Amino acid sequence: MCLVSKSKMALPTRLAAKCVAKNISINPVRHTNLVTGWLLEKHRKSKLNKQRVTTDDPLAPLSDQQKEFSVNEYKFVYPDFLPDPVWYRRDTIREKLERRDMLRRRKVLNIPEFYVGSIMSVAVSDAKAPGKHNRFVGICINRGGHGLRHYFTLRNVIDGIGVEVSYDMYNPTLKAIEVLKLEKRLDEELFYLRDAPAEYSTVPFDMDPVPRPLGASVFINTIKVKLGPRPWHCRWERENLKGVQDLGLPQRFYDRAALLEQPWEKYDIMKRYREQIDEDDLQGIYQDFLKQRASISQMKQS
Amino acid sequence: MALRIRYRMRHRNMSKAMGPCGGPLGRITRLRKLVTGVVRFERIESVFGWTDETRGYVERMIQEAIKHGDRHGPTMELADFWLLEKDLIHKLFKVLVPRYQNYTTAFTSQYMLPNKYPGGKISMAVLELKGNCYPPIKAKERDTSQLLTNILLDVARQDYVLQKLQINNSTRPSMESASCWHSQNNVIIPNYVDEITTHINTLSIDPKTSTEV
Repeated sequence: MCLVSKSKMALPTRLAAKCVAKNISINPVRHTNLVTGWLLEKHRKSKLNKQRVTTDDPLAPLSDQQKEFSVNEYKFVYPDFLPDPVWYRRDTIREKLERRDMLRRRKVLNIPEFYVGSIMSVAVSDAKAPGKHNRFVGICINRGGHGLRHYFTLRNVIDGIGVEVSYDMYNPTLKAIEVLKLEKRLDEELFYLRDAPAEYSTVPFDMDPVPRPLGASVFINTIKVKLGPRPWHCRWERENLKGVQDLGLPQRFYDRAALLEQPWEKYDIMKRYREQIDEDDLQGIYQDFLKQRASISQMKQS
Repeated sequence: MALRIRYRMRHRNMSKAMGPCGGPLGRITRLRKLVTGVVRFERIESVFGWTDETRGYVERMIQEAIKHGDRHGPTMELADFWLLEKDLIHKLFKVLVPRYQNYTTAFTSQYMLPNKYPGGKISMAVLELKGNCYPPIKAKERDTSQLLTNILLDVARQDYVLQKLQINNSTRPSMESASCWHSQNNVIIPNYVDEITTHINTLSIDPKTSTEV
């Protein structure tokens, strides 16, 4: 929808720093994308356009084939396909091309559905490893990034030492991604496992995949982790964690956390709107994703 | 649902919203008061920056209410948070939602108010809900193209243009040629002149007692 870039607004600090480093005058007007998304769509549907798109209807009702999961679930099953909500990083054309590349990669390598808390194994080609392949098994503690830069981190404890490995999902050197146990946790990120005893993060390397019945919804593991003694690497009492037991801290910690709390944040609808992709845009993106997936599945495997 | 208004990419700090050192809580408190005011009075005046911030929240709140209705827990909580006067929650779901159900445009309008001298740098603005009971802020523009003066001016303009184009031509353009243009273009020149002269003749206008029409 309409975006306003007022000339008096300050640039985000990282971008401003880049401009300063490259000796570029700090002007908040975007120079990178000269053809805006709405202008492109307007041209595509214009009657003067010879290659006019007539069948593109992002608000058309979904067919049965498309209803395998709804637009709302698409956000959770394929979070890597969601574009970056930051306005100066949106680019319709680049996003379309990225989605195409991602689907082409998915045709070659099976990237399964997984969530934070699932136990996975990843095999990569490693020139320096014996047998040229390397396999790592662990529990997924976080996932992030957008498009081809989507990543996830696996954690395991090996010989008493906690090891975390981050993988770029679309890295061409990845040989296999397998989900051994598909489940969710109560939190979106499991970094508190670093402060928990090793037993919560240990996953055997020879673990057999746990079969999942077809059509079943994803199991939510409601385990409450008991953290080890302080010092911790984060102030967990301020994070509203659901997957940990009572932290057992002195009252002054909780008082300070309450002082810093912003309980109105969940009602800040404009903030949430700015941080997420708009639902109408999402519908259009999802339709494009389905179309591309249909066309790529018909492609010959190169 | 998409927002149908232009909105800034970053929120305004509204640093003096509830006095000095108000912070984010001061901002939210001020926004709540403004949102409550808009829903109650349907037209409020405030500082432009504040009304612009409020606008987004009002629109989003109404959109959520339309989408989920009044049986949806989180939406009720949201209305309860933003509307400080609780009778307005009923108004939101029972009056505003049916009113804006089928709108394709924004639910609010915002107009800048004039900066009267001496004034300050800060502009005031009006934020109103559409379909309110008050007289409109902007008067409805009337179509003045059929007023006699304008028709005569159009014809005079055509005469002037034809005159300029036919510089070499000896025949001078006239009212007839201009009225030809009008008849070709389906413009009817009502015969006001005759009507007015007959009307004047019927009136007995006494120069001493006549008043301005």
